[in-house]
Amino acid sequence: MNSRRKFLKQSMLGAGSMALGSGLFAKSTQGNPPKRFIFIHKGNGLFPDALVPPTLSEEELAMEKRKDAFQVELKNHDLPDWMGALNEHKESMTILQGLSGKMCTTGHHTWQSSLGVYKANERLSSIKWATVDFELAKLNPSPLEHIELACFPSGGGNSRGNINGIEKGFSARGPQQPNYAFGSPKVAMQELFKSVLSDKDSQVQYQLERRLLEFAAKNEGGLSEELRGLEKAKVKNYADSIDDIRERNRKMDAMADVIRRHVPKLDEKYFSDDLSTIDRQIGHGEILLSSLISGMTNVVTLTIDELGTRYTGIKDIENENVNLHDVGHNKSVGKFEAVEVREKVRRHHMALVNRVVTRLKETPEDGGTMFDNTMLLYFPDNGETHHSKGTEWPFVVLAGNKVKLDIAGKYLRLPHYGKEGHKTLGNWYTTILNAYGNPIEHYGAIDTGLTDMDQQGPIKGFFG
Amino acid sequence: MKKRWGIIFTALSLAPAMAIEPEVFLENYCHSCHDEWEQKGDLRLDQLDALPLEVRLDVFNKVQEQLYFGQMPPKKKKKQPSVSERKEMLVWVAGELKKRNASTLEDKLRYPDYGNYVDHEKLFSGEIKEKPFTPSRRWLVSPQIFIERVNAVFGLEGKERQRTFYGVTVPIILPDHAGVRYYDTTTLDGGHLLTMLTNADWISRKQLREARVKNGELKANEFENPKDKWRPGNTPEAFSVIVTQKSAPSETEMASAIHAQYQCVLQRQASEEELKNHLALLKESIALGGNTEGLRQMLVSVLLKSEFMYRLEFGDGELDQEGRRKLSPREASYAIAYALSDRNPDEALVKAAEEGRLNTREDYRREVLRLLKDEKAFLGEVDPTVNGLHLRSHKVSHPKINRFFREFFGYPNSTKVFKDTARSGGAFMNSSRGYSGTAGWVTNEADKVVDWVLKEDQDVFEKLLTTDDFFVLHRHNNEEGAKIIASWKAVWEALKDTGWEDDPKKFVVENFERYREVLKAIKITKADDKRTGRDFQRFMQYFKVTFGRGITPATSPWFYHGGQKFSYAEVYSLPKSAGSGPIGGNGKYTDQDYWDFPTAQPFQVRNRKGILTHPAWLVAHSQNTETDPVRRGRWVREKLLAGYVPDVPITVDAQIPEDHHRTLRERLDGVTSKEECWKCHVQMNPLGLTFEVFDDFGRYRLHESLEHPENVLKKGEGKFGAHTYKTKPLNSAGFLEGTGDTALDGEVKDAFELIDRLAKSRRVQQSIIRHAFRYFMGRNEMLSDSQTLIDAEAAYVKSGGSFKMVVLSLLTSDSFIYRKKPIQRNE
Repeated sequence: MNSRRKFLKQSMLGAGSMALGSGLFAKSTQGNPPKRFIFIHKGNGLFPDALVPPTLSEEELAMEKRKDAFQVELKNHDLPDWMGALNEHKESMTILQGLSGKMCTTGHHTWQSSLGVYKANERLSSIKWATVDFELAKLNPSPLEHIELACFPSGGGNSRGNINGIEKGFSARGPQQPNYAFGSPKVAMQELFKSVLSDKDSQVQYQLERRLLEFAAKNEGGLSEELRGLEKAKVKNYADSIDDIRERNRKMDAMADVIRRHVPKLDEKYFSDDLSTIDRQIGHGEILLSSLISGMTNVVTLTIDELGTRYTGIKDIENENVNLHDVGHNKSVGKFEAVEVREKVRRHHMALVNRVVTRLKETPEDGGTMFDNTMLLYFPDNGETHHSKGTEWPFVVLAGNKVKLDIAGKYLRLPHYGKEGHKTLGNWYTTILNAYGNPIEHYGAIDTGLTDMDQQGPIKGFFG
Repeated sequence: MKKRWGIIFTALSLAPAMAIEPEVFLENYCHSCHDEWEQKGDLRLDQLDALPLEVRLDVFNKVQEQLYFGQMPPKKKKKQPSVSERKEMLVWVAGELKKRNASTLEDKLRYPDYGNYVDHEKLFSGEIKEKPFTPSRRWLVSPQIFIERVNAVFGLEGKERQRTFYGVTVPIILPDHAGVRYYDTTTLDGGHLLTMLTNADWISRKQLREARVKNGELKANEFENPKDKWRPGNTPEAFSVIVTQKSAPSETEMASAIHAQYQCVLQRQASEEELKNHLALLKESIALGGNTEGLRQMLVSVLLKSEFMYRLEFGDGELDQEGRRKLSPREASYAIAYALSDRNPDEALVKAAEEGRLNTREDYRREVLRLLKDEKAFLGEVDPTVNGLHLRSHKVSHPKINRFFREFFGYPNSTKVFKDTARSGGAFMNSSRGYSGTAGWVTNEADKVVDWVLKEDQDVFEKLLTTDDFFVLHRHNNEEGAKIIASWKAVWEALKDTGWEDDPKKFVVENFERYREVLKAIKITKADDKRTGRDFQRFMQYFKVTFGRGITPATSPWFYHGGQKFSYAEVYSLPKSAGSGPIGGNGKYTDQDYWDFPTAQPFQVRNRKGILTHPAWLVAHSQNTETDPVRRGRWVREKLLAGYVPDVPITVDAQIPEDHHRTLRERLDGVTSKEECWKCHVQMNPLGLTFEVFDDFGRYRLHESLEHPENVLKKGEGKFGAHTYKTKPLNSAGFLEGTGDTALDGEVKDAFELIDRLAKSRRVQQSIIRHAFRYFMGRNEMLSDSQTLIDAEAAYVKSGGSFKMVVLSLLTSDSFIYRKKPIQRNE
């Protein structure tokens, strides 16, 4: 990533096997269950002090205040009240504090920055490489590779599309290639599960698309016959890619029974275009679970909210239309102060995380449960606060016992920004990528303000 | 051993008579590193007979490349083949591969990195007699052409033309490197397809929108996506007929719709075969999904044709004696249109092609000259991606031509380099939301310099390399700027001795009527507006430290909206604009000398000499925290001297060690002076180190700051204050070698002397022409293009250095007009 040499090394070691394929979709690994990743990111920052267990000792609290490095076992502590929904999962949980992300766009909203570790903005040219969730999706192939769901903002922020549509999302497939995210449970349902939906329109659409691809494959396929070398590749790769999609569709067809069994079973209200934000999140949660459990994908990214997501349905203020951007600027809502509104929102997020984790723990797989092979990361898209500087980037991680990092059950505070041993978002993602088979030396841009510090590489202490 | 080699090669073919037999060559020069024991580079050459033919051919390709690029045997090896031995071996290996149609070298040499491997002296020697041609090809459209093709699908012209479409993602990405980036080597792949599936879906829905409204499927003000209210205006009649009828359409109606979509997307009729195929799909789709949805599937199927993404240049008509064909008139119309713009052929070109007036060289000349002379048709921003807060890209008459110099110099890459703002003392700001940063501003200013030189169109190359006339913060044209300053001066002269300073707000309230006319110049039109006092005070204080000190204020003061963006004069080593600074640092005036703003620009900037000393180029060729002499040197070697430097070997970790007691040059010398490093670095360091007279922000300097906490002499003040560090004197001496002119080659004391000599070099002139050839042909030159290049150089010289004449020469050359079919399988 930082040099041609490093790129070549990593591509030969890591992505080499992919490069030999026809390109679009890698072949699934046989045998062991795949590893799964869920990225849930939120807007308006995540206050680091909101994540501190209230039962820390005075000495630990003093260290926390000074932002000195330390760690404690979560089993010996209470979680902050708003995280109460996760009490049952403390042994699988990590609260990770002290990472920085000043190499990202910071401030109000950051587009792909928190997943790509570079300064992203509205310009496509600012997307420097595939975001970390896509890198993990490449390592854990599946028919649909990656699914992105989003509660798009309508009151400022990225991305500025139709909140019920399929719009540019917060992940990136590669340089200058934004991913597309499903804005509502309804559109996600229509697109992802159309092959098994029984209503006539969906079936017709499904058949039409199949025929179109068959037609395109036949037409483009013949063009390369008389050519060779580069000129042949100019048409053959494209024709092969059409075939790849058809092959993916065939796989989805073959999985139809499994997919049908896991079609989200939700009340009709979740599939309305006019649903509350809370319901939208619950609906997305169900899509997320169904797509993972059915095996369509192994990586799902959910933008649970963003700078300008307008919230409706928040507990106790159900009828208010709350612009989180205003809340970020300390606007109170009804009788609740901004900080209380933020807590209510987070509390709901935790309920959703609990729902996902619990369901995966209930789903048997390979002698254990699906959660054993799953890692869920909950984090802000812009760092420590509404107008962030990127000096802190807290994470809540929930991971099953077959994941490859030794951080479970801990509150971990790493050395603060600029102090010896300080780690960045890039180090954190490098750690995850290395643990799961991508030997990249360093993922992400470097912090130009930390030049006197070695920023490269994984956080070695995290490896199991 | 000999016998075994014999078997291997016999298995491939009988070797032609050679002075040295292939097996002996390999044994003598390769075997010591690539045998059973060594296997360097995981390559073993002693057991080829055990390998399947396919693998053996792969090894032969590797051998061919190493011999061609002169990389093997390694130069450190004492035992080297003679020139003739190497040549014979190369000819033999190439012959063997060609017999089996298995050589990959030719494809490799088509990529931009390999352009300079074609012998420069031979190209311009006149000894090559082969007639120029371009191999028949598909050439992927550029990002700009792609958007214009989408415009064409909707039939949008003039002001209707869109720069972006809500539901369309451009699937094509050009590489980042400096130099010509748009080549015919890119292939369509799965990434393009995924994007095109989404694009085609959106485009087809928009194509049918108006017909659906007519049919009552949608209300006129109803949009499936409320955020996407763009409408193309009409649905082609042939589509409308199908959407609005209740029964299934007739075959004739369906055929009309297919032809109409071919016309929209590909600007041609469907062939009989195509018509037959699409008709079958259309019938089937309509039967399944109804008229509208069925028709839409057909629209998508045409949009997904690879032809929509490619420019087709196969040639047509009779073969000439050289085995070449001219472009068909239709192909020629596209080739000319895309050479000078991003749009499909205009009406005149289409007509010329249809009427058979696009066949001869004179026809090409007529059309190219017509388009070159047209100052209005293509008038547009040279690069909308730099647009942002207060910044609009410079408008030029032929953006496509100006883009050559942007790509050649590579200065727009400055916008991709991030720097710590505090290190610059707040002068350099990174890009952020809606703002392309200081790099965006200086890139736009470099665009202005290029355009200014191109407009004069005399001695273009020399001027671009040597001019010290720059544009800085020139936000109003010269006439407007002079007017603003005159009106401000009138305010200052009228009010300077009135005692305004005692209580500015009170002064305005009490004297508003008296000075009403004067105050209009500083936009004060009400006495009691809540901002009046503040604005008046800001202007007057600004005038006091400028007019009051006998200098001219910048026409974009710090207190204008977004004024912190106007604070970068320092990167040109100019004094700071009065009161300017990053957020939080504005409006503090001191006794320092402020910039005497030149309203008439371009103006002479000291210690600058051409684009290579422009902050945009210097930042683009710098690292995050320091300069980049290796990359700068490489640029000069490759772009101006037509030389080449091999890539860093994969086994070398090219890092400059940290040492806060030594300058970058000293540290670089420390690691590159080893023999194995120097053989490549000698091509770069002596050129690139001359630019050390500029820091990584592009500021002129004589000393290098040793930026390290231990070397801080004085801490910077405030958030964006730069620390003062210990410094060391700079050594910017270098050495120029490679112009082929003994009067120019030799020691140089700094970048300025280097540039002066480069600007006088004929080789530099030829090298720029070679790059222009690549830009307009979309490929590397081959030896057979020799005459085209010689003619282009002659056109430049004869015209007194006109780039337009270079373009005309290239676009009327055989290389542009003729196509030759590459050798195919079994031919």
